Amino acid sequence: MAEETYPINLWINEERLEKLQQAGLAGMCKEVLAGLKVLAVPNTAEQRDTILKIFPMAKFDTATTKSIELLPKAVKDKIFDLVVKKKSLSVMDEFIKTQTK
Amino acid sequence: MENIGHGGKEIVERVLPKDAALKRLNELKAAKAKVLDVRLQIATEVIDIAYGFFSPLEGFMTKADVEGVCNNMTLADGKTVWSIPIVFDISDDELKKSGIKQYDEILLTYTGNPFAIFDVTDIFTLDKKEIAMKVYGTTEDKHPGVKRTYQYQDKFLGGKITLINPPKINEPFTRFWLTPKQMREKFKEKGWEMIINHQTRNVPHTGHEWLMKGAYLGAYGSMMVDKPRGGILVNAIIGSKRDGDYIDEAIILCQEAQGKYGYFREDTFLTTCSLWDMRYAGPREAVFHACLRTNLGCTHHMFGRDHAGVGSYYDPYDAHRIFNTLPKGSLNITPIFNLDWWFCPVCDEVTYMGLCGHKDKKASFSGTMIRSIIQDGVKPPRRIFRPEVFDLIMECAEKYGFGDAFVTEDYLKRRNPVFTIEPL
Repeated sequence: MAEETYPINLWINEERLEKLQQAGLAGMCKEVLAGLKVLAVPNTAEQRDTILKIFPMAKFDTATTKSIELLPKAVKDKIFDLVVKKKSLSVMDEFIKTQTK
Repeated sequence: MENIGHGGKEIVERVLPKDAALKRLNELKAAKAKVLDVRLQIATEVIDIAYGFFSPLEGFMTKADVEGVCNNMTLADGKTVWSIPIVFDISDDELKKSGIKQYDEILLTYTGNPFAIFDVTDIFTLDKKEIAMKVYGTTEDKHPGVKRTYQYQDKFLGGKITLINPPKINEPFTRFWLTPKQMREKFKEKGWEMIINHQTRNVPHTGHEWLMKGAYLGAYGSMMVDKPRGGILVNAIIGSKRDGDYIDEAIILCQEAQGKYGYFREDTFLTTCSLWDMRYAGPREAVFHACLRTNLGCTHHMFGRDHAGVGSYYDPYDAHRIFNTLPKGSLNITPIFNLDWWFCPVCDEVTYMGLCGHKDKKASFSGTMIRSIIQDGVKPPRRIFRPEVFDLIMECAEKYGFGDAFVTEDYLKRRNPVFTIEPL
């Protein structure tokens, strides 16, 4: 059985889509909810707990989506930039390091 | 008897007309009655009690009532179902300093203005931890209802309330504020025999819209369709806020927008508000909502997945199961239980868990997820979120939220209060 991951959903607005297209990463997006584009950045249970501790305003939606929601846009922008820089969705360890320095 | 509320009792408004109120105020002043200035939390419940939102309660609970609620989920009479304590707390110091004694008639003020008369018939203490466990099923102060319970002062006063100075409900809430009696008048005017309540503290996405439409169709049954004989009441809960909640103004105006922009016919849809601080008590709060909406005159009440829950304290369907534990006939409202609605990319529509056979393809969405989408500056597709509602959220952010559609410290400090008590 695949290990459960707890995504942070980076919803793709025009600005983000342009950056992804420029980096040749537009294919990383999934289409969900009637065409809405998202980059789902996976977290382990440990990473999820660390993120919720660092950003207490964030919420793990236990009831419906099992995703980490309500991170401030500025925080999600940083995660997004890291995804573009590394051309990978596996960025959470590095992101957490920058936040706990 | 008309206007029968929860518990089979007639709804009584404990509100004095202005002349009588002024006379009573002068009598109290002459008798040097003790005066207590109350905080918003208490003022809100004084208003609810006085207008019959909490009928058959006519005042703050006595110790016997609180014990009944905690142990048996009934008032002290042992029959009337009630699930959440409604209490007036006071610190030991304030009690001593004020010299309040049992059977005193005290004057309550709010923001310094005369507000209500409180006939104190009981002064008591409570075991807060026991209340937390029995009402919320946990003693963890992370639970917002438990936290509120632990924040109560150490002494409690019980007794009847009489409002002498009605609140001025401020914009944009004025047109949404109807007392239980006014609400019933409104239903009569509309010719509604069936009134389905939708409980909300959120702006609506299409999942909510389809829940309401599903409930309407289900409950309408075999009533004649020659004219609308039933409708949906969106009764938004306006009360204490948590960081990241939608601002109250966005909630109420966006709910109304569903009728205004035709997603519901205006003759089958009504938006109002009730003042209540959510306790997030899950199943017990569901029962409370049923009692409250019975008092508003509703015939049906929708209960979705994880109704009034928080975190993972309750099973998603605890708030449905609790109704099976209540004695038959103890509630005069019919619960409508809902499973999840989701977006199905195969059906290409928002659809219902109990009907859609593409579970493995489903895209679930929640109010929290929609908030996250909006925070990211993305306009969700109209099948998920109505564009007029999105535009209205943005307008509310500018007009009422100091640039933000979600509750911030700044909003809490600077917002226009929902109600004010003016000098009498």
